[in-house]
Amino acid sequence: MTKEDMEIMRRFFDPRSVAVVGATDSPDRVGYNLLDSLVNGGFKGNIYPVHPKLKEILGIRVYPSCIDIPDQVDLVLIALNQRDTIDVVEHCGKLGIKGAVSVAGGFRETGDEGRALEKRLVEISKKYGIKVVGPNTLGMMNLEVNLNASFYPISLKKGNVSLISQSGGMGFSIIQKCSDEGLGINKFVGVGNRTVLEFSDYLEFLAEDPGTKVIGVFLEGVDDARRLVQIAGEVACKKPVVMYKVGHSDAVNEATLTHTGSVAGPYQLFRDIFKQFGVLLADSVPELVAACKALSLCRLPAGGQVGIYTYTAGPSIAALDRLADREISIPGLAPETGRKIKAILGEDLPVILRNPIDSGGLGIQPETYGLLVEAALEDPGFDILATFSCPHKNWRNPTKELIAAHKKSSKPLLTCYISTVKGVEADREALQQAGIPLYISPDETAWGVAALVHYGQKGSALSENA
Amino acid sequence: MKTHKIIEKARKEGRSFLTENEAKELLAGRGIPVVSCRVARDEDETVSLARECGFPVVLKVNSPKIVHKSDRGGVFLNLKEEQSVREAFRKIIKNYQDVDPEATVTVQSMLGKGVEVLIGTIADRQFGPVVAFGLGGIFTEVLKDIVFRMAPISPEEAGKMVRQIKGSRLLQGYRGNPAVDTLSLQNIIMRVSRLAFEIADIAEMDLNPVAAFPHGAQVLDARIKLR
Repeated sequence: MTKEDMEIMRRFFDPRSVAVVGATDSPDRVGYNLLDSLVNGGFKGNIYPVHPKLKEILGIRVYPSCIDIPDQVDLVLIALNQRDTIDVVEHCGKLGIKGAVSVAGGFRETGDEGRALEKRLVEISKKYGIKVVGPNTLGMMNLEVNLNASFYPISLKKGNVSLISQSGGMGFSIIQKCSDEGLGINKFVGVGNRTVLEFSDYLEFLAEDPGTKVIGVFLEGVDDARRLVQIAGEVACKKPVVMYKVGHSDAVNEATLTHTGSVAGPYQLFRDIFKQFGVLLADSVPELVAACKALSLCRLPAGGQVGIYTYTAGPSIAALDRLADREISIPGLAPETGRKIKAILGEDLPVILRNPIDSGGLGIQPETYGLLVEAALEDPGFDILATFSCPHKNWRNPTKELIAAHKKSSKPLLTCYISTVKGVEADREALQQAGIPLYISPDETAWGVAALVHYGQKGSALSENA
Repeated sequence: MKTHKIIEKARKEGRSFLTENEAKELLAGRGIPVVSCRVARDEDETVSLARECGFPVVLKVNSPKIVHKSDRGGVFLNLKEEQSVREAFRKIIKNYQDVDPEATVTVQSMLGKGVEVLIGTIADRQFGPVVAFGLGGIFTEVLKDIVFRMAPISPEEAGKMVRQIKGSRLLQGYRGNPAVDTLSLQNIIMRVSRLAFEIADIAEMDLNPVAAFPHGAQVLDARIKLR
């Protein structure tokens, strides 16, 4: 991507003014909802609805055409059918507008006519230098400037994770899971048909974007995976990229006559090659979000040695299985840590001292829990620590103690409170504010740990950025 | 230069597969160790080539029309003297009479027992040239124990492939079998990946089997498909 292209993208992610062409006063239409998202999202710039007849929508003055808007428009959202969309993009191009979002469907997915329209869109984009998100997208967001340029008027938490999604529905699934996890989003883009702007363009942009610390990607399939993996690999050397790809069916090329060809399943190729380029892969939305959360909140570990503290064995064993899936094994306990634990719990312990450290019933009390976590964080063999507990009606959670222990250590700390999403809302807020991701399942905790280990091992360049 | 000459010749003859000896010649020209084979047109020539090679030898059917040679009795291993070479020659010619009456045979030396692996490439629609490594035979075809990389790759990346397969322990020596020369395998994988990347005419390659020994590794059979 050229410097100019980068500047155009920076501008339309941070526009001073936005026009909505095809805005209407009917809430069941996309045009209304694009406007609603802008207004309710709290966008501070100028908003210009465009409709040939209407005078006012949501209390905002409507203009009959883009040419009538008495302002330089940085971004135009287009809620028209596919044919009219092309005309409007051309018109906007002539007016010097550089950014557009097209939500219309009916392009390549419908056949030859749609393909011809996309070809036209590419020509217009080249001729006037106008960049188009989509078409066939739910839109994009930049929460840093309260810009919700999608037709889903929702409010989200601001943060440092940016998301690129090939599917509106799955993008939404990821966003909602982020909300459940108390994870803040910086930018979101639904890439749609990727007619003008490709995955790699967004990746390159977000790699340079100061508001973005972690990039999450949902992928169905692309035409030029070679270029995508090369760019994703380059970006992953600067910032963590987590990718979730669907379409695992290993339909191989039946026509091939070589053994190699007959066993080359598309998902295995994808998995092996993205690993080759150092990009972290997730297998589900919960894993994608768990990984992004750890990478968003924690500093990267100095190495891949994982310590675990729990007072209930099961969750730690489940987490170990997930870590083993990702080729992470855990070290033993340093002798001095064993001595510290005995000093806290007494010489005559009913449990064996090893990693995972399982204190049994002795370590439930928050004060003891905190001391044991501190001892584990001080173990010279651990680069990162995960802890488990089960919230109880009559017992206080060790939230305060975890935050205090974390402050004394430079190692990343993740914790799991086995609970419902709602049950630990206040603890989540407090812990995550302090840089400790809180998960409610062992699996997600392990995925968070694995993501940190993956990028921690990628070397110093990334750590300096993080 | 040699690479292109071999490919050109096959193209001129309207073939999309190189014959085994063409494929091996091409690989050898790129610094890949192969057990070279020589074409014999009749029984007596077969015997004299076998003598030159030194017994034991391997006889394989040689025809541009045949891709999978072992499917109907086109490969005879470990032939220890002249009489068994003569018998094998006659059987091969008989087995393939209806497929290609002009089929001949190739003669190559029979090497000692090594661990057999597969090294291959495909031209993937999305990733372009991709190199594969796995243990040969059922390990690849039934157990799918094979790993892939986008070509070209470094020897270090090839080393990761060798360690990544589930059957990697078979290469490191087990139950009294010696460890094989994985550095030689890495070197072949790296060279094959470069070949697939540099020569756009090549659609797919199978170096199958490649025999890995405690010292060195050699391509025993090779198949190259052109685009």
